Amino acid sequence: MTHLHIPDGVLPPLLWGPGLALALALLLLAVRASRGETPRTIAYQGALGGLMLAVMSIPIPLFALEYCLTLAGPVGVLLGPAAGFQVAFVVCVILALLGQGGITVVGLNALVLGVSVAVARPLYVRLAAGRSAAAALALATGGAQAVAGLVWFALLLLALRMSPGAVGAIPTARAGLFAGVTLALWLLAIAAESGVAFGIGRFLARVRPDLLPAAAGGGSPARLPRSLA
Amino acid sequence: MINTIAQIDFVASAGRSPWHRASALGKLVLAGAAVLLAVFVPGLKLALALYAIGWVVALTSRLPLRLLVAAAGYPLLFATLFAALRWDGDWGDALRLMLRPLTASLYLVWLVGTTPYPDLFAPLSRVLPRTVGDGLFLTYRALFELLARAQRMFRAFHLRAAAALPARRRLPIAGEGIGTLVLHGFERSQRMYSVMLLRGHSGRICGCRHYAEWSGADLWVVLAACAVAAAAVLLWRAG
Repeated sequence: MTHLHIPDGVLPPLLWGPGLALALALLLLAVRASRGETPRTIAYQGALGGLMLAVMSIPIPLFALEYCLTLAGPVGVLLGPAAGFQVAFVVCVILALLGQGGITVVGLNALVLGVSVAVARPLYVRLAAGRSAAAALALATGGAQAVAGLVWFALLLLALRMSPGAVGAIPTARAGLFAGVTLALWLLAIAAESGVAFGIGRFLARVRPDLLPAAAGGGSPARLPRSLA
Repeated sequence: MINTIAQIDFVASAGRSPWHRASALGKLVLAGAAVLLAVFVPGLKLALALYAIGWVVALTSRLPLRLLVAAAGYPLLFATLFAALRWDGDWGDALRLMLRPLTASLYLVWLVGTTPYPDLFAPLSRVLPRTVGDGLFLTYRALFELLARAQRMFRAFHLRAAAALPARRRLPIAGEGIGTLVLHGFERSQRMYSVMLLRGHSGRICGCRHYAEWSGADLWVVLAACAVAAAAVLLWRAG
């Protein structure tokens, strides 16, 4: 749910055009915010971006469905909003070039994936106080996934409304079925991503706790692991 | 999807068709123009013509047919869903709506299937901010190694009957496995940084400069571009 997987030519240009412009503007802001990063940091971003793409391509059997993870929450927590948004953009460009989601909707895909990545760390930092790292990472991931799902749903509704001749033309039953399926998928995505994030948090807290940012009030949160700074 | 990505990457480097010898920049321009035309196409005839040209171009690039169908047919599910939601009894409108993403996807698959990734990313990295351009190269390079590890890890889970566990136990276990990949990615980035320094990294990964080297094979790209342009001029108002 943090990736639209909407191909080219389905969404109206009035939606993807501004979406692309907004994503590029946010990308420039993110680049400016993370100015001065070392190549080592960029290599770390590349590794986590590669991991996102890798797990996106492996379906996990879940109930009657197969779910492809995005890892947007954990990657957002590990990298922070600025670097995370850049990774989200790069991942969307590569996916689009591989035919998974369109080139024209790269901006919208980056916004949906990017919003999830960008809110994850602020959520984690607030939630980590008094909780285990695993629980905080799971909750932050769930929250980030929920926000991304809302953006995803809003974009799709906008797309349907802005399509020529489609204003109010979708029968209620069809729209209701669509909303029901989307809601079910959204909840499934939140549960799956949070469950996996819990495991990642539990593992990292045991093995490399310095990779996780500090909780609010527990000292200044590390922008990046000490070894990368 | 895993096999599709790996196969596309392989045939992009190992393919021997004239399209593979043509410059990346020319193919990028052709694919970009065709995608934009497909997105804005006003009538069914032009949509069908673009789709047909796309298949000619893709089939002559000697990409495996199964790969072409798998990759270029990827948008079919979502396009069908969207066409069903917008269905108003007009088959022509529904077909045009479905042809747009299929055509765009076909040209993109042709592009990435005939262009090695350094050539493809090099022109893109020149118009993107430095860190993002570098990120394209580093992410793609990391992808296949992590993909192989992730595949092995999930296979090991299956062999150890992880699929029999309830989802509330299975997901955190999968997460712990992915945690090892995060750690591997972190350590890999440290090694990568050292390698970059050893190779005299100057603050930017430039990619190769082959992407704009023109050759005789580029005549095929020009020919395809002429066919696309002619179809657009002749059929734009044809309905």
